[in-house]
Amino acid sequence: MNPLLAQFLAEANDLLASVDAGLLQLERDPGDPELVNQVFRAAHTFKGSSGLFDFPELTRLTHAAEDLLEAVRGGRLPLDSAMADDLLATFDLIRGWLAHVTTHERLPSGAGTDAAGLITRLRAPLGGEPRAAVQASSTGGITTIGGAPDWLAWFDAEWLTATASWLDITSSTMRFVRYVPEADCFFRAEDPIHLVRQVPALDRLGIVQPATWPEPGEYDEYVCLLSFVIATRAAIGELEHLFRYVPEQVQIVELDAGAITRHVSGEPPLKAEERVTVVVAEVRDSEQAADARAVLHAARRTFELHPVEGAHLRSVARAVSAAARALGVPKDLTDADQPRVREAVDFLLAEATPAPLGAAPAATAVPITPAEPAEPAEPAEPAEAAEAEPSGRADEHGGQVGTRVLKVDQEKVDRLMELVGELNVAKNGLTFLADAAEEEFGSRVLSRRIKDQYAGLHRIAEELQSGVMDIRMLPISVAFGRFPRLVRDLSRRLGKTVELHTEGDDTMADKDVIEALVDPLVHLVRNSLDHGIETAEQRQAAGKNPAARLTLAAVADGDAVLVEVSDDGRGVDPERVRRTAYEKGLISEDQRESLSDSEAIDLVFRPGFSTAEEISDLSGRGVGMDAVRASVEKLGGTVTMRSKLGQGASTRLRLPLSMAVTQVMVVSVAGQRFGIPVDLVVETVRVPAAEMGRVLHQDVVVLRGDVVPVLDLARLLEMPSRDEGADRAILVVTVNGQRAGLIVEQFHREVDVILKPMEGLLAYADEFSGTALLGDGLVLLVLNMKEVLGLAARTA
Amino acid sequence: MTTVMLVEDSATMLMSLQSILTKAGYDVETAGHGQEALDKLGKGVKPNLIISDVNMPQMDGITFTREARKAPGMRFTPILMLTTESDQAKRTEAKNAGATGWLVKPVGPDQLLGVIKQVLPEI
Amino acid sequence: MPLELHDDTATLVGVVTVDEVEQLVGWLRAARKPKVSLRRCNHLHTGALQALLLFKPKISAAPNNAFLAAQVLPLLDSSQRNRR
Repeated sequence: MNPLLAQFLAEANDLLASVDAGLLQLERDPGDPELVNQVFRAAHTFKGSSGLFDFPELTRLTHAAEDLLEAVRGGRLPLDSAMADDLLATFDLIRGWLAHVTTHERLPSGAGTDAAGLITRLRAPLGGEPRAAVQASSTGGITTIGGAPDWLAWFDAEWLTATASWLDITSSTMRFVRYVPEADCFFRAEDPIHLVRQVPALDRLGIVQPATWPEPGEYDEYVCLLSFVIATRAAIGELEHLFRYVPEQVQIVELDAGAITRHVSGEPPLKAEERVTVVVAEVRDSEQAADARAVLHAARRTFELHPVEGAHLRSVARAVSAAARALGVPKDLTDADQPRVREAVDFLLAEATPAPLGAAPAATAVPITPAEPAEPAEPAEPAEAAEAEPSGRADEHGGQVGTRVLKVDQEKVDRLMELVGELNVAKNGLTFLADAAEEEFGSRVLSRRIKDQYAGLHRIAEELQSGVMDIRMLPISVAFGRFPRLVRDLSRRLGKTVELHTEGDDTMADKDVIEALVDPLVHLVRNSLDHGIETAEQRQAAGKNPAARLTLAAVADGDAVLVEVSDDGRGVDPERVRRTAYEKGLISEDQRESLSDSEAIDLVFRPGFSTAEEISDLSGRGVGMDAVRASVEKLGGTVTMRSKLGQGASTRLRLPLSMAVTQVMVVSVAGQRFGIPVDLVVETVRVPAAEMGRVLHQDVVVLRGDVVPVLDLARLLEMPSRDEGADRAILVVTVNGQRAGLIVEQFHREVDVILKPMEGLLAYADEFSGTALLGDGLVLLVLNMKEVLGLAARTA
Repeated sequence: MTTVMLVEDSATMLMSLQSILTKAGYDVETAGHGQEALDKLGKGVKPNLIISDVNMPQMDGITFTREARKAPGMRFTPILMLTTESDQAKRTEAKNAGATGWLVKPVGPDQLLGVIKQVLPEI
Repeated sequence: MPLELHDDTATLVGVVTVDEVEQLVGWLRAARKPKVSLRRCNHLHTGALQALLLFKPKISAAPNNAFLAAQVLPLLDSSQRNRR
């Protein structure tokens, strides 16, 4: 027998003896309070100990006896002989049970029925069954209020606004706690900070200091003067449990985006003297203020030098607004004219930011400074960080101990990258010079020497470029960081159980790529939670683990990064996709028959497609998978989806590691040069005109047994095409998994270019993805192959 | 070493709590009722935490709490009351006497160790 | 020992409990230019933090503990800077 049970049985014997004796004496002398107390305590101890074992009937029976005795002890009920009989019968029954327990280690099988009648009789004088125990264990006096309380103003408005917009996106709520410890709480061994440290899922903490401190001479160190404001994602139940010993000192509110927004817009801002009494912990506050002052000084100097207008004025206004936000005096300067911006600068410098004594103004205030060691950097979205912080610190990494880390202005890195691009362009110029040396001046030797020089320069430029790109690299965890919360919030809302796993968090990619990745990923994850993953019941019915698994994985693949969102949900039904696409007129009846399953699944990326029969309020907000594909392709990437019906789906994004430099192959058509992204190029071939074939009005060429459709690029671009000549130069490309040959006039070299978006007159021309400056000063138009081939499909 | 003093008249409850605490690496001092516990505190036993039953012979838990706060070095020691669900009123009384919090019987290992972690900073 | 006190410098180590508050306040009252190292401090009792906020000693070393570094240090640092 387990020693605890043996101990219980031994103790029970003593207790039973003392109860019997006590009850018999009580019948004779019902007024003796010490006797009542003795019997009560025995019953109480019995109940307490019985709970340690799996004897629910014993616990319920002793509980009823204890309640009756408690009433007698408190003088609410006089003990009569009927009650004494019931109590004696109760302890007799228990004695019998315990004999059974001694041999069998469990209660006799009829215990429940035997107990029921006695429990009813014991409870009868008390007015029947007690109220459900749930009530006793519920809130216990913690005040929970509905609307936004005044004390929300301890949080800064900017953070509240950002939080509100997040809550809006996720349609979720956040809990806010106001904890005002009692002045004498230390004498109950309460340590408010220690309690606050245990708040689960703490989002923000404000330690509120008293408006006026006592004089040091009168200070009583054992009077608690601090109080707290807390924002957390923990459930109300968790918070009530944590604060259960101090309910009267705590207020909890649950607020949604609307309530916070109303608070932010409706309440007057904090007065200056109140502001100093709270410091909502923000590690970089004062540094940020120094940066903000520097921005303001720079803006003032700019205005002093020359008039500022147009785009320049707008960018100055943006910088000033950001500085104002950083200083806690938000100013909206959208579309402000120069005098207004200038006025704002003067106001901020004069009123809001008395520079600390000895602080140097302007230029010297923002040198590159050694970073402080690894502050617990918030996993801030880089885009927001860059916008909110005037001097841009999106590249901030936590510094390792022992390494000197520089905080560098993001703009400086961008400038460096531009220079690398220009160096590449200048370097490419050498190859033209080499060609010219040979063709125009007939000096093969000079050409060779120029090419050697080029090779050396090329190597250095490449290293420089990768060095600069390294600075811009961020781990993909920056993008993944927001998903635990998104998944948690959404899955709670949908009532699904989802485990999020991430792999390859430390895979590095350019910050622009990472920033651009967030939106498509958010969409894919939402989509998966909303449509892919089933409810726990559906999963169980399908024989799956009730908790679904959602995986975000990243891996570097040469010059690209692969990011995959996969789930083990219901997967995509290709048949249903075919039907929907057909019904929506996206495919013909023939295609409906002939499309393979994987081709069918790809249809979900078509504009106007949505498999969800009812548009859900989560992912059905007007963006579909087509938007995901469009935004990824805009980055020069691709999206593909694989699915196994009933087993899950995975969507893979393939993105260039860096968007800064693109390798293009230069070809010429009708005497004009065009660039084609090298990623798409499979091979270049020359095919004798005689070997060209024609199938169903389509020129084709047979390459290693495969029939590849061939298009005349000149004709596609509506330029004069020249068919003469014995050979055809064909550039074979793959777009959306389909191969096509393009007839061009001449192949040139591959060059690295900085792709600039189309501007001005050409901006409407979808068949070009951008322009690039070549080494010989010519502007190269880079083709958007998807559009070009799309043109072909439309014109064919 | 962290010392926990258990004040409890039920030998079964004492044994159960003691075994949980010992397994978790705490030093345990026991007392069968409030007066015995006060005597031990008077003799220089200095627990880091006290867990006391409410209903005990000789001296109940609430009186004990009030008295213990006057003992040397016990001003700020966390004191937890062992209560039952029906002891709501006792909890307020106990807090006014200087108790830090309470446990609801039967007390399992998770509940006991969780509360100790909550009230004793040993991070 | 959680408090290592010298004339003008103090080092707080591990968990500073309420039992140390009185001694800490006494030292803060007496020291002319108090400097406090929090590097090895893991927890400050509310009473100890409150005393540091009132007396505003110079913080000579930031705590390694993440919670103290993120939530508590900024209060002590900025109160330092607000001093004229």
